[in-house]
Amino acid sequence: MVHISDGILSLPVLAAGWVITIALIAVALWWGKRKGSIVEEIPKLSVMTAAFFVASLIHIAVGPTSVHLILSGLMGIILGILAYPAIFIGLVLQAFLFGHGGITVLGVNTIDMGVPALVAYGIFKAGNKLIPSESLAGKAGLIGALAGGIAVALAVSFTAGMLFTLGKGYEWAIKALILYHIPIIVIETVIVGSVVAFLVKVKPELIEGLGGEKG
Amino acid sequence: MKGKLVFGILAVLLVLSCLSISGVSAHRLHIVHKISEIEIEAYFGGNVACRDADVKVYDKDGNLYVEGKTDDEGKFSFPPKIGVDSYTVVVDAVHMPGHKAEAVINLSQETAGTSAGGMGTEMPLYTRTIAGFGYLIGLAGAAMLYMSWKLKKK
Repeated sequence: MVHISDGILSLPVLAAGWVITIALIAVALWWGKRKGSIVEEIPKLSVMTAAFFVASLIHIAVGPTSVHLILSGLMGIILGILAYPAIFIGLVLQAFLFGHGGITVLGVNTIDMGVPALVAYGIFKAGNKLIPSESLAGKAGLIGALAGGIAVALAVSFTAGMLFTLGKGYEWAIKALILYHIPIIVIETVIVGSVVAFLVKVKPELIEGLGGEKG
Repeated sequence: MKGKLVFGILAVLLVLSCLSISGVSAHRLHIVHKISEIEIEAYFGGNVACRDADVKVYDKDGNLYVEGKTDDEGKFSFPPKIGVDSYTVVVDAVHMPGHKAEAVINLSQETAGTSAGGMGTEMPLYTRTIAGFGYLIGLAGAAMLYMSWKLKKK
């Protein structure tokens, strides 16, 4: 549902979406290269992209429709900046294989889901640095949960914003979009929180957002 | 007296023959025709019916033919137009702005069997999921190959 499909948005919005997405992918790859070898990240990237790809198949019935998981927050926390290109690849596969979203809107959809991932990464990293705590797993889990929830809320707001550019006739769709995603925000908060708490315990080096902090 | 009898017999024969004519016509075979509806069904991946979605049916020249909404089972029916055998059906799940689908129904090519089966000509979901994983493994492999080639060059 946060995937906008072809033939809805206006051409300037689509074009702007592509420009921003291509720029952000380039920055992410450059950043990732500067920070170290991307080679070591490839398996993690692939697994996370696969998780993102299939997460959209987990439907939860809400009212007359069904909404699905997004997992932007988890992508950001675990992959860091590289979440952006990973989400782009995931969306390409979802568009071609599942018909979620569309081809021309890939730029816009990547912004809608990728930028919240980057924000979640920022929140998670800053939160863990700023808040001192005895139990890293508990703290990281809570901050992760918060970041995961915020990421979904952001993704929904971005999508709503894109639809808002269309003007009249979409008010109802925007309301429905926001309303139906409240359960997803709650569910993802729980999922991201527990996955992060678990990973911090068993394999903290997997989490890019911890940035060198040892568990 | 004799003439009256002959006349009477003729009259009875006439009545009988009239009865027999109407008897034959009672066996006349009538054909009336009614063109029934083309039914489409819209559903999301995972077999969730797409309810209350806007449906627009276009003929092969792209003119809007009928429009309506899907019912609780995600179904929508429309009568075909005489002489038009190809329709493009566009389903737009308005309450889920990301979901829109299009299908072409061709009456002259489709057999009754496949049309009864609905528009579901796509691959089953699990094959598409596996395909997605395949692409990802391939991409990861290609990326690693490129990186190792770069490392070797150094």
